[in-house]
Amino acid sequence: MKTETNLNDRKDWPKKDWASQGTARRDWIRLAGTASAGALFYLLTGNPKRLYAQSLQGDLGILTAALYLENEAIAAYQAGAESKLLTPGVLAVAVAFQGDHKYHRDGLSGVLKSLGVTPSGPEKKYDFGPLHNEQDILRLARNLEHGAMQAYATLASNIQTKPVLNFAANVLVDEVRHFTVLNSVLSGKNY
Amino acid sequence: MLKAMLKDETENSKRQVSRRQMLKAGGISVAAGALASALPAAAEVRYAGDLAILNVALGLEHQAVAAYDAGAKSKLLSADQLKIAVSFQTDHKRHRDTLTRYIKRFGGTPVAPKTSYDFGTITSATDIVKLAQSLEAGAEGAYLTNAGKLENREILDAAVPILEDEVRHNTVFEQLLGMNVTERLKY
Repeated sequence: MKTETNLNDRKDWPKKDWASQGTARRDWIRLAGTASAGALFYLLTGNPKRLYAQSLQGDLGILTAALYLENEAIAAYQAGAESKLLTPGVLAVAVAFQGDHKYHRDGLSGVLKSLGVTPSGPEKKYDFGPLHNEQDILRLARNLEHGAMQAYATLASNIQTKPVLNFAANVLVDEVRHFTVLNSVLSGKNY
Repeated sequence: MLKAMLKDETENSKRQVSRRQMLKAGGISVAAGALASALPAAAEVRYAGDLAILNVALGLEHQAVAAYDAGAKSKLLSADQLKIAVSFQTDHKRHRDTLTRYIKRFGGTPVAPKTSYDFGTITSATDIVKLAQSLEAGAEGAYLTNAGKLENREILDAAVPILEDEVRHNTVFEQLLGMNVTERLKY
């Protein structure tokens, strides 16, 4: 039987580098880099009003990338639910977590709209690899949650506007909770 | 909701809301504000508002380290529970050291642990798990509430992984206590 990671020890958390997992995540890094442009403008001009405008521009990239991950997670839980491979207890957790991701998606979409940007919808198709049993689905979900967790943690530092940062911090809390619960289910322990 | 918040932020920027007013926003921040005023007005203290928040957090870390000590010494925990307690206490010691380093670096004075803590009556392993869960939930809330108030990016960078640890700890204990772990916080 495959040994699962020990969630009680941070050093045992999956080390998979989310930045190398695909174009979307690589894009995220690039986009996140642009967030510092606002701070640079402030340093050069000392104009906080412009800093605000510039910061929002930088945040747009971050928000768009985050929305991509949320849509991906929603689709993954949908695939899991439709597979009929999940036991009732796990299905209930999957539905609840998918609900959280929809909430994140709607929050991110709302911010983007308020900034005059049309939020992107989901991809037409996602390749989640072979899903033969409940463990496959749980592992997929766990890995996506971990990627999202790392992404939100990394990007919290790059988000320039405080309300958006507060939203991102709350989303991060959800992702860590999801990841921890999925890890527990995978380890077969009640913790 | 976020749209309204964004609007608020713009308004705040316009009004040049003072740090003191910002600190009034939350209960813990009020305490942080009090600590900030208590700090010496030495010129070398930088990011005084951030340091006040860090000192409140440091107080919570000291308390958590002491609570896990009390739990371990009680001999009431199973081998598995003890393993978790030791692992989580190690995390809190790391948080304590990180916070102490930043407070000193920016010219502040780190708060010391209390000489004793009153953790109430502990007669079973469940009492300890309940105590730990409530402390972890409190720490999670403190870091979550204050993350957006930090002005120094390096300090924020240091605080984010600590928040992650607190959420993980809290979730583990919620599961052990059979609490609902599928409920999202209100935001």
